[in-house]
Amino acid sequence: MSNTDFSSQNGAGGPPYANGPSQNPVALQPPGPGYMAHQTPYNPMQAKGPMPPGPGLYNSGPYQPIPPVSSNQALPGQPMLKRPPMGPQHSMTPPQSASPNPGSRIPPAHATPPPVSANNYQHAPAWQYGGTPPMGAPPSMGAPPPMAMPPLRPVGNHMTSSPSLATPQASSAEYRATPPVFHNAMQPLGPPTSLQGYTQQGSAPLLMNPMAAPHSYQPVMRAPYGGPPPSVRPTPPTTGPPMGNASPPLGPKTDAGPLPPQQPGPPTRHMGLSYPSLPPGYQNTSAPPNAATMQHPVQPSTQPYSHPPPYQQLSAGPAQLSPSLSGLSLQSQTPEALRVVNLLQERNLLPLGPVTPPTPCLPQDLQKINCHPEVFRSTLTSIPQTQSLLNKAKLPLGLLLHPFKDLSQLPVVTSSTIVRCRSCRTYINPFVTFLDQRRWKCNLCYRVNDVPEEFMYNPVSRSYGEPHKRPEVQNATLEFIAPSEYMLRPPQPAVYLIVLDVSHNAVETGYLDVVCQSLLENINALPGDSRTKIGFITFDSTIHFYNLQEGLSQPQMLIVSDIEDIFLPTPDSLLVNLNECKELVQDLLRSLPQMFGKTMETQCALGPALQAAFKLLSATGGRVSVFQTQLPSLGVGALKSREDPNQRASAKDIQHLSPATDFYKKLALDCSGQQVAVDLFLLSSQYCDLASLGCISRYSAGSVYYYPSYHQQHNPAGVECFQKDLKRYLTRKIGFEAVMRIRCSKGLSIHTFHGNFFVRSTDLLSLPNVNPDAGFAVQMSIEENLVDMQSVSFQAALLYTSSKGERRIRVHTMCLPVVNSLSDIFAGADVQAITCLLASMAVDRSVTASLSDARDAMTNASIDSLTSFRTSVLTIQQPGLLAPACLRLFPLYILALLKQKAFRTGTSTRLDDRVFAMCQLKYQPLAYVMLMIHPALYRVDDLTDEGALNVSERTIPQPRVQQLSVEKLSRDGAFLMDAGSVIYLWIGRNCNPNFLTQVLGLPNYAAVPLNMNMLPELDTAESQRTRAFVGWLREQRPFFPILHVIRDESPLKASFLQNMIEDRTESALSYYEFLLHIQQQVSK
Amino acid sequence: MVLLTMIARVADGLPLAASMQEDEQSGRDLQHYQSQAKQLCRKLNAQSPNRCTLEAGVMSFHYVLEHGVCYLALCEAVFPKRLVFGYLEDLQTEFHEQHGKKVSTVSRPYSFIEFDTYIQKTKKTYIDSRARRNLGSINTELQDVQRIMVANIEEVLQRGEALSALDTKASNLSSLSKKYRSDAKYLNTRSTYAKIAAGAVFFITLIVYVRFWWI
Repeated sequence: MSNTDFSSQNGAGGPPYANGPSQNPVALQPPGPGYMAHQTPYNPMQAKGPMPPGPGLYNSGPYQPIPPVSSNQALPGQPMLKRPPMGPQHSMTPPQSASPNPGSRIPPAHATPPPVSANNYQHAPAWQYGGTPPMGAPPSMGAPPPMAMPPLRPVGNHMTSSPSLATPQASSAEYRATPPVFHNAMQPLGPPTSLQGYTQQGSAPLLMNPMAAPHSYQPVMRAPYGGPPPSVRPTPPTTGPPMGNASPPLGPKTDAGPLPPQQPGPPTRHMGLSYPSLPPGYQNTSAPPNAATMQHPVQPSTQPYSHPPPYQQLSAGPAQLSPSLSGLSLQSQTPEALRVVNLLQERNLLPLGPVTPPTPCLPQDLQKINCHPEVFRSTLTSIPQTQSLLNKAKLPLGLLLHPFKDLSQLPVVTSSTIVRCRSCRTYINPFVTFLDQRRWKCNLCYRVNDVPEEFMYNPVSRSYGEPHKRPEVQNATLEFIAPSEYMLRPPQPAVYLIVLDVSHNAVETGYLDVVCQSLLENINALPGDSRTKIGFITFDSTIHFYNLQEGLSQPQMLIVSDIEDIFLPTPDSLLVNLNECKELVQDLLRSLPQMFGKTMETQCALGPALQAAFKLLSATGGRVSVFQTQLPSLGVGALKSREDPNQRASAKDIQHLSPATDFYKKLALDCSGQQVAVDLFLLSSQYCDLASLGCISRYSAGSVYYYPSYHQQHNPAGVECFQKDLKRYLTRKIGFEAVMRIRCSKGLSIHTFHGNFFVRSTDLLSLPNVNPDAGFAVQMSIEENLVDMQSVSFQAALLYTSSKGERRIRVHTMCLPVVNSLSDIFAGADVQAITCLLASMAVDRSVTASLSDARDAMTNASIDSLTSFRTSVLTIQQPGLLAPACLRLFPLYILALLKQKAFRTGTSTRLDDRVFAMCQLKYQPLAYVMLMIHPALYRVDDLTDEGALNVSERTIPQPRVQQLSVEKLSRDGAFLMDAGSVIYLWIGRNCNPNFLTQVLGLPNYAAVPLNMNMLPELDTAESQRTRAFVGWLREQRPFFPILHVIRDESPLKASFLQNMIEDRTESALSYYEFLLHIQQQVSK
Repeated sequence: MVLLTMIARVADGLPLAASMQEDEQSGRDLQHYQSQAKQLCRKLNAQSPNRCTLEAGVMSFHYVLEHGVCYLALCEAVFPKRLVFGYLEDLQTEFHEQHGKKVSTVSRPYSFIEFDTYIQKTKKTYIDSRARRNLGSINTELQDVQRIMVANIEEVLQRGEALSALDTKASNLSSLSKKYRSDAKYLNTRSTYAKIAAGAVFFITLIVYVRFWWI
């Protein structure tokens, strides 16, 4: 904390800044050489021209049916230890209780033999039923008992040809990307292989991950299938042999169940048909658990390992049955993450609800208290034992944090001594072990410490001698009130300084009104106490200070025109106590917008204004909010336009992603040393060089807000967004003079940090301000082998001064298991966390190297990990692009990243937009980054209350997430796309008139205005539902997403369509083409 | 010029309020003084003199103890003592009035940090040279500053250390003497055993001699 060690570091040039991307040139290739080794760069040709998805590709090898080989070898490594040996009854329960569907979904299969489009998958489970009793594969083939269905083969063929083939051709014209050949080639052949893949791997993890089961099943429960009567479930389990008999009666009962899901299907299928096997993807959702359930009863053995074989053999029969089988368990999110998914065949990869992070395989009691994944998340929920193992997996290892998140409940501990490990200073946490009453063993460095006398008393239960019941040991996230040892100086007051650009350009945009109005409205809501201070600086070619001293009749403006050597015109009363001078402050805010109404000054001296702000705040520290509307043109830090508009769309490398001057970075580091953070609001229509200006916030732990083309009259949506964001900004929680330290167990080391901060020493992040909307990411490596460790822990401790002058420490601790097999590592991969970490790494890479490098690195990351999965985990080689279920979204996310504003090429992107997207990728917490990368698409013209959430007496409908493809849009519907910072409502040309009148209050499609940003408050059920849904989406994030209602003629349609990442654009591959590209690389 | 003001509870040295130094530009490193002030607050107890000035190089600490609360200010040594004590008295009156009753109950450091606002205002009136003249005349007979004890900060801080050093030395001595005692006992027993053994050998030799050669 001392300022001295700062200056030594700050003085130096570029490299010494620990923050700088330059500091860690290896940043992007963390876990080993593998990352970059796979350099085969994207073939531009490939990227440009349509991928040749010719039949040759399909017929040649990959899709030849492969004889079923047992792949149980892959399984033994699984951590099954914790699971009790499975008796028949026991084994049945987990899937049973978790999902009501399986039971009901299977029976219909029996009942509906005819080739309804829905049936092709439903047979599958049925077959398994039938097959179950006899155990062995051949018998099962021969004895499909009460089925109305004839031999196996025919069925399989029949299905592929009739429903899927027919539809594709009907509308293939519309979808250019994928030639029909594909379907033909794939359908008949595909099923066996993919089924194969599914069964062998699938069944085992299913058994072994009982903990995950309830979790992952939830989505299924909410699924649109009408909830089957619970009474159905008990029936299927009725032990092996009778199974066949049991099912037929069930059939009729639940027959209606499976069909509804089809309903959304048909229209979409008609529109685009890239994947004929599409529907099976989700329709089969619940089958596998059921199949598994069926399985167990027949299993006499208690040895869990013995389960897979019969299952597999059994399925070898039905393998020929139907292609849809392959998708069997996909959507149900079967508890296993390792089930093999053939990405080329399965289209419906998106889960029904939000993507849930994997649950670490920890003992139940530990997992219960583990840190919440929204706060602390690891890319791998199972930590590899050695670095070489990690290198083999080719997955990045890192953590994503959202340490200062607004939490609804947070235990706060006041105690004079905070118990910490004596050698590594870890805070005592739920994952330490108590050797006896008086000693505890640190879970990070394994040192044995004494339990202090005070800790023996538990203030919660008012009992003595139970140190393990203390709140510190019961909560993975908690806050301490720090004793005075944690303060180098008295806690600082909340200090806010507003720096406003008042040049002609700024006044023209009219933003001053909004800022002053927001401040006036929220002046009492600013976090702080009676000590809160506030100050104002405005600048154009000169710097204006405002003397707000108590007793003055009106604010006094002091102009400093010497911008070369900036000084403070008066030592005090520029920063004044807000409570005492509120009148004057309000006075100033009311008069400010008019004061510069007629200014002709076009120049803008941002650099000197920032220096003045730093001087003003350096004694106390605090927050500077800078509002800037153009490129700074005077004094230090003046910048020149570097963007060539003609190059915006070029596929060549993007220049000028790095700062043009280090002035802003240096100033930011000085600020950081004096506990000053600078938040930048950029409201501009032209290029502002955010790459340079952004440094001021980046290194001082501020935040950046960017409102392109802001104008009071011309862009009302932008104004509303700015207003809402400002309100949140002014009133949100804030922590001052903060530091954060992330500790991890011995053997692991953190080598790169992502986010806005300055790294003061190896693991100490200096955060002059911390706000609840800031996220961080770190990359880790394994320095020492973690042999004979069951688990490792990570602890993030954030020490900050609250706006009330309290010094507090927020501690988050997370515990993860250590594993020693590759398959376990893959099973624990968290695809969202991996994607976000890769995005952060790619941002660094594109700044230090080049954008194309970063793009290649991302593509290679997916190729490498899938290759590694294929070669190391899969024991038999199968055709297709195989991915474990937990990583099935990985290629999709990578493609989404490649098409994200930050990394896309070939599409016209303004440099500032790009740089801002990069800032956000590094700085936003995971949940928001994911929406930016992969927006969520919902169909909203048919919202129902079915499966709706009830939040504080409001009913919020929960439509399912659709794939981001134009084929999903139907002209007679209305679709809502939630892209994080913006929400689009797309109205189809033939949209249900009911929706138009009831929700939008418009008579017909033509009446939809081109710039509609509001949903009218109509008193209809549809309107209420839609508004409740949009409102609910908005509530979930701190910033305010604008709603754009768009139709075909809207100018914003282009940006809406750009988010359709699964589709092909002029310059980018479609999802399927991308998969083919990956497959080529993988199978090389 | 008052550089640092601190109000702390005497019983355990818990800081209650403090004023941020507004003087960072002058480049003085106050960190050192800050920690000295903290140590000092912990050293003080009910027996300490009620008013005292402690010299610390070019600076001096001035403190006032009242109602179990210590009011401490750091000034340049040349700053008039009379003013400092006037200032501290002023703070004391106000603080006691506002928070006096709650002092014994709080446990969080800097619980009354909001008192900082008042401290700063008061400080301004005392530092302002014009106001100072007026105050000076009012306070002339208020304080008999001459009688205030003057000591050196280092001595005060080290007094405790010297005592503890003495204590450790004494305990060392006693443990050493204990060790000596047990060692001596052990040696005694050993020499006794040696004597007995020697006698036994002599007698055995004698018996053997008598048994084989005499007869």
